[in-house]
Amino acid sequence: MRRNSNILKQIDWVTVFIYILLVFFGWINIYAAVYDDNHQSIFDISQRYGKQLIWIGASLFLIIGIFIINHKFYSFIPFPVYLLTIFMLIFVIIFGREVNGAKSWFEIGSFKFQPAEFAKFATSLVLAKLLSIYNFKIYKFKNIITITALLLIPFILILLQNDTGSALVYVSFIFVLFREGLSGNILLIGLLLIVLFILALFLNVLNLIIGITLLSFIIFWISNRNIKQTLIGVGIFILSGLLIWGITLLFEINLLESLQILLAVLLSSAFYTLWLIRNNLHKTLLIIGFAIISISFVLSVDYIFNNILEKHHQSRINNLLGIEFDPLGAGYNVNQSKIAIGSGGFLGKGFLNGTQTKYNFVPEQSTDFIFCTVGEEWGFIGTSSVLFLFALLLLRLIFLAERQRSAFSRIYGYSVIGILFFHVVINIGMTIGLAPVIGIPLPFFSYGGSSLWSFTILLFIFIKLDAHRMELL
Amino acid sequence: MNTRNQILNRIKFAYLGIVIFSLAIVLRILFLQFFEKQQWYDKQNQISEREITIEANRGDIYADDNRLLASSVPFYELRMDLKTDGLTEKIFDENIDSLAYYLSDLFKDKTKTQYKDDLIKARLKGNRYKLIRRKATFIQLKALKTFPIFNRGKYKGGLIIRQENIRIQPFGNLASRTIGRYKKGRNIVGVEGAYDAELRGTKGIQLMQKLSGGIWMPVRGGTTIEAIDGNDVITTINVNIQDVAESALFKQLIKHDAHHGTAVVMEVKTGEIKAIANLKRTINGNYKEYYNYAIGESAEPGSTFKLASLIIALEDGNIKLSDTVDTKNGEIEYYGQSMKDSHDGGYGKITVQEVFEKSSNVGVSKIITDNYKSNPSRFVDRLYQMNLNEKLGVEFRGEGAPKIIDPTDTLWSGLTLPWMSIGYSVQITPLQTLAFYNAIANNGRMVKPKFVKELRYRGETVKRFDTEILNPSICSKQTIESAKEMLLGVVERGTATNLKNKNYKIAGKTGTTQLANKSSGYGQNSTRTYQASFVGYFPADDPQYTCIIVVNNPSSGVYYGNLVAGPVFKEIADKIYASSFNIGKIDNTENLLADAIPYSRSGYKDDITYVLNDLNISKIGTSSKWINTQKLDTVVKYFNNRMVKGITPNVRGMGLRDAIFLLENRGFEVTIIGKGVVKYQSVSAGEKYNKGDKIILKLI
Repeated sequence: MRRNSNILKQIDWVTVFIYILLVFFGWINIYAAVYDDNHQSIFDISQRYGKQLIWIGASLFLIIGIFIINHKFYSFIPFPVYLLTIFMLIFVIIFGREVNGAKSWFEIGSFKFQPAEFAKFATSLVLAKLLSIYNFKIYKFKNIITITALLLIPFILILLQNDTGSALVYVSFIFVLFREGLSGNILLIGLLLIVLFILALFLNVLNLIIGITLLSFIIFWISNRNIKQTLIGVGIFILSGLLIWGITLLFEINLLESLQILLAVLLSSAFYTLWLIRNNLHKTLLIIGFAIISISFVLSVDYIFNNILEKHHQSRINNLLGIEFDPLGAGYNVNQSKIAIGSGGFLGKGFLNGTQTKYNFVPEQSTDFIFCTVGEEWGFIGTSSVLFLFALLLLRLIFLAERQRSAFSRIYGYSVIGILFFHVVINIGMTIGLAPVIGIPLPFFSYGGSSLWSFTILLFIFIKLDAHRMELL
Repeated sequence: MNTRNQILNRIKFAYLGIVIFSLAIVLRILFLQFFEKQQWYDKQNQISEREITIEANRGDIYADDNRLLASSVPFYELRMDLKTDGLTEKIFDENIDSLAYYLSDLFKDKTKTQYKDDLIKARLKGNRYKLIRRKATFIQLKALKTFPIFNRGKYKGGLIIRQENIRIQPFGNLASRTIGRYKKGRNIVGVEGAYDAELRGTKGIQLMQKLSGGIWMPVRGGTTIEAIDGNDVITTINVNIQDVAESALFKQLIKHDAHHGTAVVMEVKTGEIKAIANLKRTINGNYKEYYNYAIGESAEPGSTFKLASLIIALEDGNIKLSDTVDTKNGEIEYYGQSMKDSHDGGYGKITVQEVFEKSSNVGVSKIITDNYKSNPSRFVDRLYQMNLNEKLGVEFRGEGAPKIIDPTDTLWSGLTLPWMSIGYSVQITPLQTLAFYNAIANNGRMVKPKFVKELRYRGETVKRFDTEILNPSICSKQTIESAKEMLLGVVERGTATNLKNKNYKIAGKTGTTQLANKSSGYGQNSTRTYQASFVGYFPADDPQYTCIIVVNNPSSGVYYGNLVAGPVFKEIADKIYASSFNIGKIDNTENLLADAIPYSRSGYKDDITYVLNDLNISKIGTSSKWINTQKLDTVVKYFNNRMVKGITPNVRGMGLRDAIFLLENRGFEVTIIGKGVVKYQSVSAGEKYNKGDKIILKLI
């Protein structure tokens, strides 16, 4: 009974307080974003701000519920909850309703609900549960496969719903894995792939491949400090290239130049490794591996981008990278959003005085682009405050996570941090043109019951776990 | 320890990551909201607010009986945004076939496959502004909106519609050169050009704000200047007479395979141009209005100019019609140059009257040289006094200037006077010749040809053009009578007896000019070109209309004015005579009845109705409390005189009682000049006013 009487004292009120501030400020901004002269009352439940108030009220009950349930319960449920979520994700693909091109909503009467929002929470739980198993080694191959599978299944299912934004949120789990001991090299490789991805879109593929090949030779030369071996390598490469070129001419094979180079690299690598078999094999193989993987990656990015990605995805990415400028098409949202935020200035235009906001220039302004309203009406004061609150919340959560005794709580905490972090960075980033527009909500701010509830559940389970940090699970 | 350090590093990394990302975002926002603030602010206004000019509707051009001669009708330019957001691959692929089919079926300019290929190509290219049709009618637009893809609306279907007003002339080629062709940004001829400022109206400005989805909405309380539509121009052209003139001229041009020709009909008293036709042969042998020859082409008039010469001699008392002139054998030499009459062998001794009737070159030149050789300036001054060296000053661009040199000119020689007397060595436009003959018909009073009667705004007269008098009396009454006698004689006994008819009398003069060829002068037979003309008026005893016909370069071998130009004149005169009440004394009862309708003022409807009821005169036209009236043949017609709050009322045409009542009620301080009916108000109708504004009324 001591425990129960103390729970209010054990709760981390700093986090709760930040949560309340964010939710309240979010509600005010939804009011401003959809404000309409005919419905001036903020409590008018026919309008989004009235509805949001209902969702906020319901969140209160959710929080109370989370606190009442025994904390040990949360360490028992991950697998059942995960399975249930997977089931719902499959179900929604078959029976769901299409909204904005994504088939990710259940509709039961007037009640709408998006399983993808809850999948994040379920995945966090199951990941925490798995990683916290005693003596679990993250670098074991079997375990890596298991983790990958657990993350990939919901990811693919959400992708199938055509809800790319929500699926990309799963990238944030890499952050958790990194904290739990995943090799830094994987992050490095990830970074390399991102750079290659962007370069593949920017540059001519053929030039890029030639560049990678040259780079590989330079790396080889620097690491071995042996000009002779390098030149021999170049020689073999050129010979292989000529050979393949000759063959394509001879047999009249119609082969892309870039593929020809890839073949040349493969062939010359084979010869070269045979020749070098005696010394420095390990390093050479690594460099060869780098070259081959990079080239293949660039080629597949090029192929996927041009043949598999849909037009609107292509143009969104192109817009972000500045390859394509189309202020009326894909760039429209971002341009309008930047105008809204930029024109706010330091102090903002004042509550309900935002012209961009009032006349609905920015699409999705109460949901994904709610940050514009903050920028336009509250200015830099508002935007920096919101960012400050989020940063404070995240840092506070890291602090909380690190003080956990049980690995389950800590890992779960990091999942929460990762998810929130990803949402905040990408969402705000997309309103100011730093990130692609992938349509994910700003936690606690954006209009919508599913989103508010799922973030509330996500956060408060962690607060509940934290409140019981002294007890081992 | 190693693991612990590693973990610590990773935690630091996490902290750092959050801080770095937050800083990056804050930095970016800082840039947006501080350094780039103005730029985004401007962009916002630029995107969200715009002053849009509202094009005023161009006024229409009417004939004298209110038939429409030129008007603007809307057409639609249709384009397609093939990259519009809602137009997905699937929708496009599924519907392109049927869309192409319907388009081909509607416009019939391209086949289904052509349309399909075109659209697919445009989509691949990412064309956001693909032209579908430049001039579609409203009916075509309506049909198009139901087609697959387009029926999905503006954003999902990508249909872009731009309305454009196109000027049309309902009567086609009829007087088209004089009406003019209106095209934005081009030099405009004719009435369209001369009255462009009136027709154009005033553009309005409206501050518009953009709403989501690219819809523009007028800003409440923003600056708004309403567009004022252009005034309508009521021309003097009579469609029926114009039609006759044009078809008669056309027939004759075809018959003689002429290069070009012109026919102008003018009302004697008012100078109103009732018809003006200009036809030029096109490459394929047809005739079209290309150039306003009547106004623009200054050329040697030939025999029609002899009237001016003889008037001068008559006016100076040098000759009488009954005087005899010896034309000998029809040939005379001036400084070695011989001048011949067209009649071989000559006329011998004939009277002045006969000289004119037979159009004897020898006779006329002899009269003039005998009397003015010693003082040619006298002759030329006389011509000048009859305004023959001045442009008429018509409102159209490109009026040809007459050219009559005086003896001080370096080009003047001994040959000039005799040749000038028979219409060579001078240049004058057909319209100028017409105005001169009209002055004779009008008992010496020379009036300016009038093309436009009045300007109207929404059915109400804004400005009425009075007949302008160029010369109240070009010569004495006596001379006029002699001139008329000579002109009548030409048709009765002279060179134009083929125009004689028993119903009414025509007076006029033929002209056959040998045109100077630019390279070879009047010389060689082979390059000789002629200009046949006839100018005159009818009915001779009470002239109503003057008319000139000029046919240039008839190439059928016949070139005499009476044979080439005369028939056109006769056909026009016959038609007018047959269809007009006012000519002659056919229907005096009608006129009496018309006079029975009193002139009525504008004003308070109940008052006017009371008076008209008492006089048993019927009224037509429903109306408001205040009205304008128009006297028609048997009835009085009412027009609305709308009173709008805050807008100065139109009190012109009203009596003083009504005018003062209306204006003082509105808070005007009224000053009155004269008495009678209000002719002028210093604050124009339709202008905004404030209480206490001053207004001056002029009454006549």
